[in-house]
Amino acid sequence: MSELEIAVPRPRRWNEPFGEMAEADVDALLRIEPFRSIDANAFPPSLPLRGILLGDTRIGRYQAGDLIVREGDYGHSAFLVLAGTVRVVLERLDAKLLGREEPPRRSWRQAIAQLWSNAKLPEVRASAGANDPANDRVGTRDESGTARVFLQDVPRLLEKTGSVQLGVGEIFGELAALTRTPRTATVIADGRATLLEIRWQGLRDIMRRSPAIREHVEQLYRENSLRVHLRETPLLYDLPDNIIEQVALATEFESYGNFDWYSDFGPNHARDATEQIAAEPLIAEEGDRPTGLLLIRSGFARMSQRHGHGHRTLAYLGKGQVFGFSELIESHATGEGVPWRHSLRAVGYVDVLRIPTEVVRELIIPNCGLWIADCGLRMQDTQQSAIRNPKSEISASDARLLDFLADHRFLNGTQTMLINLDRCTRCDDCVRACAATHDNNPRFIRQGPKHDNLMVANACMHCVDPVCMIGCPTGAIARDANTGTVRINDRTCIGCSTCANSCPYEAIRMVEIREPGGAFLVDEATQQPILKATKCDFCAAQLTGPACQNACPHDALVRVDMANLTGLSQWLGRKAG
Amino acid sequence: MSFFTRRRIRNASLLVLALAGIVWWVRAREQTLDSSALGTGYLLLAAVFFLASYNVRKKLPFLPLGGSTAWLQWHIYVGIGTVGVFALHARTAWPSGWLEALLAVTFYLTVGSGLVGLYLTRTIPPQLARVSDEITYERIPAFRRQVRRQAEEVVLESVAASGATTLADFYTARLYGFFAGARGWRYLVRPTSALRRALMREMQDVRRYLSEQEQIGCERLFTLVRRKDDLDFHDARQKVLKLWLFGHIGLTYALVLLAVLHGLLAHAFHGGVA
Ligand code: SF4
Ligand code: SF4
Ligand code: SF4
Repeated sequence: MSELEIAVPRPRRWNEPFGEMAEADVDALLRIEPFRSIDANAFPPSLPLRGILLGDTRIGRYQAGDLIVREGDYGHSAFLVLAGTVRVVLERLDAKLLGREEPPRRSWRQAIAQLWSNAKLPEVRASAGANDPANDRVGTRDESGTARVFLQDVPRLLEKTGSVQLGVGEIFGELAALTRTPRTATVIADGRATLLEIRWQGLRDIMRRSPAIREHVEQLYRENSLRVHLRETPLLYDLPDNIIEQVALATEFESYGNFDWYSDFGPNHARDATEQIAAEPLIAEEGDRPTGLLLIRSGFARMSQRHGHGHRTLAYLGKGQVFGFSELIESHATGEGVPWRHSLRAVGYVDVLRIPTEVVRELIIPNCGLWIADCGLRMQDTQQSAIRNPKSEISASDARLLDFLADHRFLNGTQTMLINLDRCTRCDDCVRACAATHDNNPRFIRQGPKHDNLMVANACMHCVDPVCMIGCPTGAIARDANTGTVRINDRTCIGCSTCANSCPYEAIRMVEIREPGGAFLVDEATQQPILKATKCDFCAAQLTGPACQNACPHDALVRVDMANLTGLSQWLGRKAG
Repeated sequence: MSFFTRRRIRNASLLVLALAGIVWWVRAREQTLDSSALGTGYLLLAAVFFLASYNVRKKLPFLPLGGSTAWLQWHIYVGIGTVGVFALHARTAWPSGWLEALLAVTFYLTVGSGLVGLYLTRTIPPQLARVSDEITYERIPAFRRQVRRQAEEVVLESVAASGATTLADFYTARLYGFFAGARGWRYLVRPTSALRRALMREMQDVRRYLSEQEQIGCERLFTLVRRKDDLDFHDARQKVLKLWLFGHIGLTYALVLLAVLHGLLAHAFHGGVA
């Protein structure tokens, strides 16, 4: 063997287990439902049920009032109650109760007062937060090295809101984990409770091999969300209830790509466009016979067409968009089979609903009836308004731009910072404005990937799929329900860096904080600096709106929602002038 | 027609209208044998204050005082408009009296530097965008040191690997100075790729005398020369933009001071013309 090579064991799935499960814990789990009824022989030797339980689960112990999941959180795991009970709060809790207080917009007086009240040094805080006495609605405590957030005075809180009790053997949180949608309810420990937390990969593998569990989860989705989701699709929104019911029953669930797409993506994983497309999981292939109407439930998919030896990107489909309808309509009208004209590939992770061809032919097209043309028009509308159809909005020569945006996963952004380098004088007024409005430390870097004269700066994009939110132990990073902005609550941030490590765009920076006198704050136990996660908050508290955009004298900087192709193309058109 | 062309036409038309209004007012005053000097003087002073306040607005990004883009547009067109008002006020290109002459020179220099700045801010960014990477101005000295260190390592490695010194000799004679630091003022004023091309050509010429190991080093030096030249280009062009702004702001402050002084004196010695 050459000296340039060193043999090491190949990294494996459970090198980094989810928790610290002992063999005895797994034995105990295998003696109780639902694991007792699962056929262990259905699992391949490389992926044994025992291995999944050892590597993909962990046991958590909670005390009365501990928050297990918060409404609006992004989660990557589901829970099974092993002992005790938990309460699902049925009504929406006040954001303040969950430690998600909206920063109030400053008044004119407060805005002017910044002239003398702003600290001269960077990152000065009045207190370290988290257990700050001002923050009296939620508290944090340490449960064997894991931070737990608890609510004060739960009985009074539950008096005001309805709740449902879940007991031993019941599962919750599986839909949010599997579909990467925000948690729909808050769950609190009802007393002492022991829960098994299973990460989505383990749940997915168990579902694949245990029909009972798969049916249970799919049934929950069909009951709770599928009808709403189908109704949200423009093509289906005025179908009669009984037809929607039948369509829902026939719909198949599929997922493509890696749920953890962000773990093998980032500056260190650059690939060329052809390699990139080839590596994306194929959902539908150009030239194949359509197997149904595909509806994107979450994530992004690349629609491409063969061009020479490669593939040319034509559009990106996002949540609520459909693929393959025109082929099915044409085939219905002509009576001949029409193959798929484009390919569809998963960019990152995509959840797809497949409505079988026969169901489209028998239930959807006849009920669209005279409105088939209208259906087509409606789809076109959605494509134009919602997403990236280069044919209608961006010229074919800009397919490269689309590839650039997809390859860097910038499509994920709802407030992506774009800089037109043909107009940017590098004056840094934007950077200074951001620093002046944010603790004397800019929340973005005026650097980033370039495409021709367009630069995507390193600023939080307030993503459609904010993977940074996964795993925050205190829920300090959350999406604002009203504005969609992803914000960090400085007071509840405990500086664990989970979000900064998860953000594939490296938009979160951990900073050391100081007290007003200028001294750095250190942990009294370890003498290590106290850290806080910082990132662009879209100037939520400022009267001015985004200070960076407002400060650019040369029309060079703009925040763009990548789902609004019209806005993007208008801005791109402007820059030519 | 692009957004920017439309904006230019709209703002220029507004400026022409405003100037026409001022000329009409001055004529009207003169027909009644009233002096317009005080009126145009105040207008000019107000305009100068407004133009100078743009820099103050930049320092207050947390106040909702309007976008910087809008401010810049007003700054440009009001700035151009002041030339017309100045002509109406001074009635001569070269006023007598040392204070008035100094004021006029400062005014011309400020307006001139503003126009030069407008040209520079519209022409330099596309030049910078064409150069490979985006380079932050403050980090250029560190990048330069890094490139120089890398170049020296390449040469030392090739001497160690080949035992020959042809590449090292060439480096000492031709590249050492190039990698040593920033370029001179001439490059600052007019950056060209002449030196880069010359060095590349010379390296190409010397290649045939190099051993195989040295040729590998020479390839890497090609890349480093290109990188250093890009750094120099960014340095020079960004420095021009910064120096220009520095000069323009300095002149503006001087203009504000002189204009206020002139106003005070004008009031002090105002005889009350019939
Ligand atoms: S921090 Fe990163 S992942 Fe989170 S919203 Fe911002 S850019 Fe997206
Ligand atoms: S929106 Fe505000 S916080 Fe975000 S980068 Fe711009 S100035 Fe900074
Ligand atoms: S303020 Fe505008 S012109 Fe200045 S550096 Fe920022 S983006 Fe560029």
